[in-house]
Amino acid sequence: MTTLYLVLGAIFGFALSRSGAADFGTVQGMFLLQDFQLYGIIGVAVALTMPGLWWLKRGGHVLASKPSHPGNLVGGALFGIGWAMTGMCPGPIFVNLGEGKLYAIPVLAGALFGTWLYGRTRSRLAGPLQLPSMSEPAVPSETLPRQA
Amino acid sequence: MLQIHHLEPMHWAIAGATIAGVTLVLQAIGRRSLGLSSGLEDLCSLASDNPVFAHTAAEGRAWRLPFLAGLVLGGVASVALAGEWQALWRVEPLDSFANFSMPAKVTWLFIGGTCTGFGVRLACGCTSGHGIFGMSRLQPSSIKSTLAFMAVGTVFSNLMYRAVWG
Repeated sequence: MTTLYLVLGAIFGFALSRSGAADFGTVQGMFLLQDFQLYGIIGVAVALTMPGLWWLKRGGHVLASKPSHPGNLVGGALFGIGWAMTGMCPGPIFVNLGEGKLYAIPVLAGALFGTWLYGRTRSRLAGPLQLPSMSEPAVPSETLPRQA
Repeated sequence: MLQIHHLEPMHWAIAGATIAGVTLVLQAIGRRSLGLSSGLEDLCSLASDNPVFAHTAAEGRAWRLPFLAGLVLGGVASVALAGEWQALWRVEPLDSFANFSMPAKVTWLFIGGTCTGFGVRLACGCTSGHGIFGMSRLQPSSIKSTLAFMAVGTVFSNLMYRAVWG
């Protein structure tokens, strides 16, 4: 299965690289409302994933849900600043590294530092931002394949 | 035009369909929900025993870390198949608008990365987990996060590239 995930990641990364989703200028074109490209990509991806997931759920797939909490908005807003500053969301950081874009190195270092900082402060943020409890298993057993 | 070898970008419909295809195969065969920013926690879990990261580390090692390695390979293949692979430091339009010194540019990118890392984990998802997977399920947490990062990114870029540097 590891090979499958590696191959899926490579196909995903190739598409991000060649479509402009991992291109600084294309990302700024999206935010500056000058370039339709990324709206088209996200729109088509959502429009096709939606019926696909519906069909998989009909076939017995159970999908875990992410609970709603104020951190969705606060964290989303912070990420918006980060994406606009660096021109890369988390996936494209790795694509940019593969493409040889050295400016992705400080971005990755920052992203790991930010994640580490989140880990350090989560217990203090959990109350005010009503973050979900971590006592539940990360992957609910009902979402995994049924044993034959 | 893309920065790499000045390629014309792939059509948005083909790219969107490819992303949807990978998302659905990942779910259909692997029973894994697309979401890449948890991979940042998985990388932290390699060096830290913080229970926040340990919580999802087993799942991360099973699929996200190989998937992230695939993203790097996809980037290498994309450049190598278009011409020569080369290291790039110049980044447009940032360089010509901001006119940063080398340390200022590194600091800018590091701070932006920090906002991204902290923000995506607080939001419990990024463009993939919320923007594509969650939006496809009309999940309220994903709709909120996606609206937040799209709106704030739009305001921030317009502020910098049109007002401050423009």
